[in-house]
Amino acid sequence: MHNRVAIVGIGQTTHSGRRPYVNDGELIYDAVTRALADANLSLKDIESVMLGNMDLFEGHHLNDAMLSLYSGAMGKPGFKMNTGGTVGTMLAIQGWYHIASGMFDTCLVIGWEKHDEGPVTPAITTITDPSVDRPFMVGAIGGLATVSIDYMNRTGCKLEHAAMARANASLNAARNPNAHLRDKYSMQDVLNARMVLYPLNLLMCCPTSLGACAMVFASESKARKITKKPVWIKDHVTVHVEYGGAQFGVGEKRWTSHMQAGSTIFKRNHITNPRKETQVFEMYDPFAFAIPSWMEDFGICDTGEGWKLVEKGAIALEGEYPINPSGGVMCTNAIGDSGMLRVAEAALQIRGDAGEHQVTREVKQALASGFGGSYWTDLLLLSKTTD
Amino acid sequence: MKPKAQEELIYLDMTLKMPFKWRTGEPMGEFFRELKANGKIYANQCPKCGRNFCPPVNVCTRDHSRCSAKDKWVAVGPKGTVLTFFISEQSFLIPTTGEMLKVPFSVGIMLLDGAPVALQHNLEETDPEKIKPGMRVEAVLKPKGERKGNIFDIIHFKTIKE
Repeated sequence: MHNRVAIVGIGQTTHSGRRPYVNDGELIYDAVTRALADANLSLKDIESVMLGNMDLFEGHHLNDAMLSLYSGAMGKPGFKMNTGGTVGTMLAIQGWYHIASGMFDTCLVIGWEKHDEGPVTPAITTITDPSVDRPFMVGAIGGLATVSIDYMNRTGCKLEHAAMARANASLNAARNPNAHLRDKYSMQDVLNARMVLYPLNLLMCCPTSLGACAMVFASESKARKITKKPVWIKDHVTVHVEYGGAQFGVGEKRWTSHMQAGSTIFKRNHITNPRKETQVFEMYDPFAFAIPSWMEDFGICDTGEGWKLVEKGAIALEGEYPINPSGGVMCTNAIGDSGMLRVAEAALQIRGDAGEHQVTREVKQALASGFGGSYWTDLLLLSKTTD
Repeated sequence: MKPKAQEELIYLDMTLKMPFKWRTGEPMGEFFRELKANGKIYANQCPKCGRNFCPPVNVCTRDHSRCSAKDKWVAVGPKGTVLTFFISEQSFLIPTTGEMLKVPFSVGIMLLDGAPVALQHNLEETDPEKIKPGMRVEAVLKPKGERKGNIFDIIHFKTIKE
């Protein structure tokens, strides 16, 4: 049996495409000081520190060594995560392990990325086998474009539905002062954008941002002393996939890591109606078809129902089942913090502290997902209470 | 006098150029040898469950059995079915050579006849109106003397009518 774990402090920087006067250490420092201030703690209260990003994006291997000054890790235990898109959710899960094991009462986790410092796509491309896959891989977007075609072909979803999901994200991001892309778009604006990789145009791809997010995790006894609004990590799961064609979720029998993650979490927590029993979902959505298609894969709705719910406005801030009230990865994507932002934003929704982008329905339970590399899924279930 | 930050923007340019070698493993080496020598596309077969893999694998993804170049090989393709695809309007670096790709180009995720695991490669067709999932295609190979034992021994997959 493990110890209960709560999120007790959340801090993030603003996100943007370029901030030439700020270096990586300063970004991390800003997120850390904000998370500590939110928890009303100082660095001496922190027992362990975790840091994560993608080394190759900034061309700086083992950057946690140099950054220990800024992260506050000096003299403390902890390690570095480097798992691609899931870095942020993995960090949150590692924070959970540190506390749940009983080894620590507090753990500070920090995810960050500074995409303006290096070429992202050549770095991402190195994840694949160079003999057969790498020559045809154009970063992350190639695989996501093929998934989009497959989804449209299977369910009757149209480009318009992806554009609706993107337009909805833009309205949410416009309310979020920390988001990167904050312009409001209509469905037609999105459809008019320049084509990049058919069927994904420029506005249907996530941006490359810079920013950092930090969170403080604490044990139950500590959490109740630190804050009146602890957010509990009720459950989480990580799922790998078979490498090769199957990672696209096409082939012999359609199966994806999102499908396994959703069914595991819902079964283990006796959730039969996820749209009722969880009230908001912060989903790692790196392309405009993610929300309609992955709602189905996670089991939030039936196959073929995702784009219909988008069409009905169900995912809006005031909708039946709000998804990504923060604006999501479509509007803000500093990869090392993208996953952690999902957990942080879900926790803010439970606390009722999301400000302008707080959803209208009361949030008791929330989902947060991470996605990376070869369809590697993290899914977390957060709760207001410990029952 | 201390310069104002707005006037003094300091950054360092750096380029990492790092050469690597990649061991393909025995089955992949055999796959490329057959492609180069005989112009045939082969799948290797898991000795335990009999599942075919093209491209070949060293370990079965289903039962974790070790596969070797000496196990059973099955000729697959050269015809196949497109499962899904993308078409690029934007140029990207060819990750293994550093050259820029000519646009438009398209990549299909295909099941070759006889192989249950998908392979990706360029499609000859780049018009989104003319590519549909379920479409039949066939591999077009370079002539024998020009084949080098790599994935580009297959030029692309052309659309076929059956």
